[in-house]
Amino acid sequence: MIVLMIILLSTYYYQTQEKLMLSNERASLFKYAYIHAKRMKVLHHFFDERVTYPRDPRFKSAIYDVEFKEIFSLLENKNIHFHEEIYRLDKHIHFVKSLDDFYLGTKYIVIEVEDDGLWKEVIWKNMIGYGLAAFFIFLLFGLYLAKLFLKPMRDSIVLLDRFIKDTTHELNTPLSSILANIEMMDTDVMVEKNRKKLKRINIAAKTVSILYKDLTYLTLEQEKENKDEPIDIKLLVKSRIEYFDILLHSKELEYELNLEDASIVMDKRKLTRVIDNLISNAIKYNKRNGTLGIHLRASELTIWDTGIGIKERKIPYMFDRYTRFNESEGGFGVGLSIVKKILDEYDITIKVTSKINEGTKVVLTW
Amino acid sequence: MTGIHAQDIFERNCIPCHQELPASLQEMFKRYLLVYSSEINMKAGIKHFLLYPSKDISAMSDLFVDTVEMKKKTSLSPKELDEAVDIYWDTYKVFDKLK
Repeated sequence: MIVLMIILLSTYYYQTQEKLMLSNERASLFKYAYIHAKRMKVLHHFFDERVTYPRDPRFKSAIYDVEFKEIFSLLENKNIHFHEEIYRLDKHIHFVKSLDDFYLGTKYIVIEVEDDGLWKEVIWKNMIGYGLAAFFIFLLFGLYLAKLFLKPMRDSIVLLDRFIKDTTHELNTPLSSILANIEMMDTDVMVEKNRKKLKRINIAAKTVSILYKDLTYLTLEQEKENKDEPIDIKLLVKSRIEYFDILLHSKELEYELNLEDASIVMDKRKLTRVIDNLISNAIKYNKRNGTLGIHLRASELTIWDTGIGIKERKIPYMFDRYTRFNESEGGFGVGLSIVKKILDEYDITIKVTSKINEGTKVVLTW
Repeated sequence: MTGIHAQDIFERNCIPCHQELPASLQEMFKRYLLVYSSEINMKAGIKHFLLYPSKDISAMSDLFVDTVEMKKKTSLSPKELDEAVDIYWDTYKVFDKLK
């Protein structure tokens, strides 16, 4: 936009300067044409005793009859624009004067002088100088405006980040306490009613725990140095399924595991975050009595569900931070942004296919 | 053959009378050029004057037309007139004469 504007302004400036140059030249060319007309008058009078066409070191000239037929010409450039008084052609300037008395049949006298191009050099220097200056001024102005308009959005993101960071820090102790106490409780001595209640508390605490781990990763752990090591993915998937077992049962989901041996070299914390988030989403957005599938091949991991699905046009945006497509489910919308960031770091490709009310399939390939 | 025949027409029908006049055919040609400029215009102007001679449409000066007797309408056929005028143009034209 800025470049286009500068080009338009430069074109207008160039044309104006060319007109100005021609206007300056016009006075001297008019004088030459007048002198030449006088000489033609003399030649007409003495023709055909004298047949030498008048020449002048200051300019070249030509004469044409009323039908634009050349009577005599000394011009270097014979492309004449008879309907323009003055114009520039390559390296020449032409001035066309129409006569009232047709000496030797001459209706048009054309005067030609060389265009030294000095005016063009000055124009180019000005255009480049002022163009660059304008470009930087527009650029700075544009940046200032963009900053001004984006400031409220940036402020709200910073506020949200700070809120999450502060909240996360405060969540650690109570959450650990809740989970530890649930584990320690002796369910055998409980009545059935209380056992169910405790199960619900356990599910809720684990859901919050996943969110806590994501937020911790986002705010504190992601800057930590990677501890890459060979990981047995099959083993990791199994342990994560076990961890999510209580959530799977709470939604009465069946799971279909098809796990072959596979390994990868990466930071275990990060791979755990990826698998946890994908399994957690597959549970969260699944239908009651649905199925959760995990297929593991040598260099491919597929996690699919029979849930609500996601519109195809929204798939490219699902990895954006704070993006949530289903308001009924909790969360900050940070899980998949973490997943994407980790996968990009390890050059792992992710492919998402989904159909509304049929389910979503996520395939990781490395 | 046509050229020789046409030149005969011009020499036979034009030169004899013009030899008697104070202005030469060359001078008259320049007067016509001054008014008509191009070949087409000039030939049309000469032919019109020869067919309908009049003081008002003469390219010559007032002094000239007042001094000499006004020419009579030509007796040449249109074809002969064209040929005679073409020879006149070719004889006195400026093209290719300037150096």
